[in-house]
Amino acid sequence: MKQTLMGNDAIAWGLIHANVDMVSGYPGTPSSEILAGVQKIKRELNLDTYAEWGTNEKVGFEVAYAGAIAGKRTCATMKQVGLNVASDSLMSASYIGNLGGMLLVAADDPGFFSSQTEQDSRVFAKFARIPVLDPSTPQDAYDLTKFGVDLSQEFQIPVMLRPVMRVCHAREIIEMDDETHYNPNKGEFVRDVPRWGAVPRGQRFDQGVSQLERMDIIAEYNWEKFLKPQFEKCNGGKLLIIASGTGDGFVRETLKDLELEADIVKVIMPYPLPVEKIKENFKDYDKVLVMEEPYPCVEEQIADPKVYGKNTGTTHKIDEMKKEEILKAFQKIDFYNGANIYEAPKIDLGFDVPARPPALCPGCPHRDVYYAIMKVFKKKKSIYPSDIGCYTLGIAQGAIDSLLCMGGSVAMASGYSIADPDKQVVATIGDGTFFHSGIPPLLNAIYQGHRFVLVILDNSTVAMTGRQTTPQREHQAIDIKKIVEGMGIECLEHHYSHEMQDNIDFFRDVKTKYENNTTGPTVVVVREFCILDQERAPDFVPNIFVKVDEELCVACDQCTTVYKCPPMAYNEDGKIEIDPFLCAGCAGCLDVVCPTDAFIIDENYLKKGK
Amino acid sequence: MKYQIVIAGFGGQGVVFLVKVLAICAGNRDIPFLGTENHGMSQRGGAVSCDIKIGDFTNPVIDKNQANLIIGLDSNESLRNIAFLKSGGTMVANAKSDYPKIPFNTAIVDANTKAINEEFPIQGLNVYMLGTALASVEDFPFSVDEVKKAITQMNAKVAEQNMKILDMAIENIKKED
Repeated sequence: MKQTLMGNDAIAWGLIHANVDMVSGYPGTPSSEILAGVQKIKRELNLDTYAEWGTNEKVGFEVAYAGAIAGKRTCATMKQVGLNVASDSLMSASYIGNLGGMLLVAADDPGFFSSQTEQDSRVFAKFARIPVLDPSTPQDAYDLTKFGVDLSQEFQIPVMLRPVMRVCHAREIIEMDDETHYNPNKGEFVRDVPRWGAVPRGQRFDQGVSQLERMDIIAEYNWEKFLKPQFEKCNGGKLLIIASGTGDGFVRETLKDLELEADIVKVIMPYPLPVEKIKENFKDYDKVLVMEEPYPCVEEQIADPKVYGKNTGTTHKIDEMKKEEILKAFQKIDFYNGANIYEAPKIDLGFDVPARPPALCPGCPHRDVYYAIMKVFKKKKSIYPSDIGCYTLGIAQGAIDSLLCMGGSVAMASGYSIADPDKQVVATIGDGTFFHSGIPPLLNAIYQGHRFVLVILDNSTVAMTGRQTTPQREHQAIDIKKIVEGMGIECLEHHYSHEMQDNIDFFRDVKTKYENNTTGPTVVVVREFCILDQERAPDFVPNIFVKVDEELCVACDQCTTVYKCPPMAYNEDGKIEIDPFLCAGCAGCLDVVCPTDAFIIDENYLKKGK
Repeated sequence: MKYQIVIAGFGGQGVVFLVKVLAICAGNRDIPFLGTENHGMSQRGGAVSCDIKIGDFTNPVIDKNQANLIIGLDSNESLRNIAFLKSGGTMVANAKSDYPKIPFNTAIVDANTKAINEEFPIQGLNVYMLGTALASVEDFPFSVDEVKKAITQMNAKVAEQNMKILDMAIENIKKED
């Protein structure tokens, strides 16, 4: 059956067609639509499938992994930096293995489109000694999802699928199973303490030995199934291209565009590789070029004087795959001496086109809360650590000084408060991130008596990755305030107000509490909403639209630098104008934001019946 | 056929909707295609662009100097993507009359003003620009009927309104000629 699918939806269908009935994970671009896709298929086909978000990637991995120990076919989904969080579990799981099948989907983001690192999960799979599959297109992603689950069950070891963003978020016509004959394994835990409860040293040592043997067997399997049939069709010549994942699709198009020919071998399983068998084929070529992203994973395994790639400075070392980079690599190894056809002609427009950097949505309450925090805790006297989520975009307002990783803000606030006690440290974290990994460092701060302000921005959703639910959304007994109080300290609570002065007044009180609190952190939860949350937002948004009184606007830049709402921009007359199509009707800017009160209610706009 | 289209705008304008419509058009005719989205961390109001490559391709990304057509739902976003347009290509953009002179075929319409004048609801801006492309780009890969069918398959509930907007855009281009 042919169907137009995005890569992540193709993976979701692959899981269902591989009889996976437990899927767990944590949202993260570009992986988030996989689990959401399984939930959608489950609803449509009325399947009895567990497909739920965990509170973090480690939790998500462990739920799925235990299912695979108990004989189920399972999957854990996450983005590449999420794998860092789950890595503790993965490293041990690779020794212990599973009876059912477990596919670990770690989606990479070459090019840093929405990630703080460009790390290569294939290298992580090699470090953990589990097989990894590298799809080049959504069709590949579907096929390799099914294959990966089978492989995991056959070799009793978790298998990684590593799609990159250009696979996850690519769209094409997929050929997939005509019908869904869903027949999941029945779960049954079989007691085997020496295996599931292996303790150092003897049992773990034995598992380590079998892990090494298993990789040798799978490398041989990789040769027979994927590599040998391709090498048999090769002709030899000047250049052999070894391409992993997307490298294959990019290199094939570049060759066509440049009217060149070379043998290409596509690496479907970049680890474990039958290294010696691959190298035996190098004798038929002058040079071997490796195309892969983002790290030299295959290149380092098959290192040889004939091999060119990132480590020889031939291919680009950072940023995503581009045909222009492949063309340049061809030039460097004297395989192509023509012009750069991917160079755009220089066009002088006579002005610089303004960029549209990522910003908080119009109507987002985070903007107003940051504005109020900065009004009260002055920038010169403060340090603002923050965390990962939509609210990271507050950096455009100057409301964030440092960012590290999920949950990092809280212990960073501890560290700053110790290192620079003359400054007031005000950390911000979202509710999703607080549940993910913000609780242990808060316990530590209370335990050690670190003095800072922690503002928990509670919009009751994981907004940035597509508004997945957070625990308190479906189980209201899980309340951030009660969690904080359970640690033995007060939790100040504020309900976001579209009247800015209310927010400022609240943070003035917070400041007083902070100044009087000598024993530990001052914790605040601000109850907010996400403007894109169709369930909750309508209760909060006043639908008061705003325009500018041009007589009053003095072009002081306050709104465009400290408030930073996307509809606000200068018009041809040098006055601020509000884009009526972008204004969300939040009314947040009416009060305080403009020093000359130039923002006024646009009565006419109300007739649009929003 | 080999045809590469970049659709550029900002979050909330319905860039992805247009790519899906074109993908359905290709699928209905059984032509292979690959598409991808570039949005990074943007939410509402941030830059978004989508690539769709129709025909025999093996990766979804459009390189510089390769696109046959750019559909810009926003003036600045159309210009920020201009490097992807190849010589002889066409720029269809929602922009005011002060749009700069560029060395390509162009179809510039001020759809924002039409929406402010309530000729069509702003939510239909993407479809209006698609109609403009249909009527003004000689080598556009799909027919009006094919696009209408895809719009219906995409979302039957709003198909009637979308088709009205599509026809309005086409009529407006014809009137100009």
